[in-house]
Amino acid sequence: MTDVDFRQGSYPVSGPQTTNLADILERVLDKGIVIAGDIKIDLLDIELLTIRLRLFVASVDTAKKAGIDWWENDPALSSRASRNALKDENRELRERLKELESEASEKSLDSEKAEK
Amino acid sequence: MTERGPELSGVNAIYVFAVCRKPDLSAVVGLPGVTDQASVSSLSLGALTAIVQTVRASDFTDEVWQARLSDQRELERYARAHHDVVAAVAARCPTVPLPMATLYHGEERAREALAKEADRFDAALKRIAHHAEWGVKVFVPPCPQDETVPTPVRHVTPTERSRPAPGAGLAYLNRKRGAQERRERIQDEALRTAEAVDTEVRGLATASRRLRPHAQPSGEHRVQVLNATYLVSARRAEELAVLTRTLRERTGVDIELSGPWVPYSFVGEV
Repeated sequence: MTDVDFRQGSYPVSGPQTTNLADILERVLDKGIVIAGDIKIDLLDIELLTIRLRLFVASVDTAKKAGIDWWENDPALSSRASRNALKDENRELRERLKELESEASEKSLDSEKAEK
Repeated sequence: MTERGPELSGVNAIYVFAVCRKPDLSAVVGLPGVTDQASVSSLSLGALTAIVQTVRASDFTDEVWQARLSDQRELERYARAHHDVVAAVAARCPTVPLPMATLYHGEERAREALAKEADRFDAALKRIAHHAEWGVKVFVPPCPQDETVPTPVRHVTPTERSRPAPGAGLAYLNRKRGAQERRERIQDEALRTAEAVDTEVRGLATASRRLRPHAQPSGEHRVQVLNATYLVSARRAEELAVLTRTLRERTGVDIELSGPWVPYSFVGEV
């Protein structure tokens, strides 16, 4: 199967007939050849505009570095349940650390005794 | 479609959609453009022609645009209107699209400013001749949640059996760590797939650009990991469609191809 719209058979091109708004916006807003106009139009901060429209999450690089798109889409990382799970995990980690520390001090005492 | 007489300066402004060579203006007949005040028309720049529309200046001030762009329905209306004119013109002749909202105080001002950029328009026309822009998006399933990760079986020694609490804690931590590692592995793999698709498509493209991946509406069970666009020669368009199909089969992920687009993304750098 294919999503390609081949109804536009001839070149030069006219653009796909059915396109989502995000695809059009990211092309007509900040692409195209930019020529200074008489009337200064600040097309808002593109980032702000798109955040408002919830179309885009981050630049490719940021998304890659921070995994932002995953954070946004992974309910395991955003739900309240996961916050509780984190709390539990934190508590258990502390308990485990305490035990390890006491174990370690016991061991060092043992080895000191052995050395003597 | 004829050139108009002198406009009422200060009252009207000229909105420019695109600049092209030898346009066939029957393409834009009936298109509304960005206003119902006047029809879409042409403005001769010598060898080049601008596709323009006379608009009421008061409807196209910065303040009005700010309000317009803050309203999604209005934004969509204007973006599509702009795109429709650009696309219609480009279907008939080599065309360089301008971004939405390039305006001049009058025809003379527009002609003067655009004629100054003739070299850039020529370079852009040369670059995109016999080429189209194609968008490629890659989607992967979202990451599984912790619950789906099986608890690893642990070998329990007699000493540990006498102390159940730390054993349970460790098992829990291992499980957590396992889930985290699994998630990272899936993410890495998804990004590698995205890179692989991009590399393959670039192999047959004249130029390429990465765009911001789109957030998917909640409820859609997939995550976009690649949103890229490519300038592809007309004679390789069929090859691109085949490659997309092959990559889809090989990687097992959703790959969407959109186009052909007027090469908006490839005329800005000239």
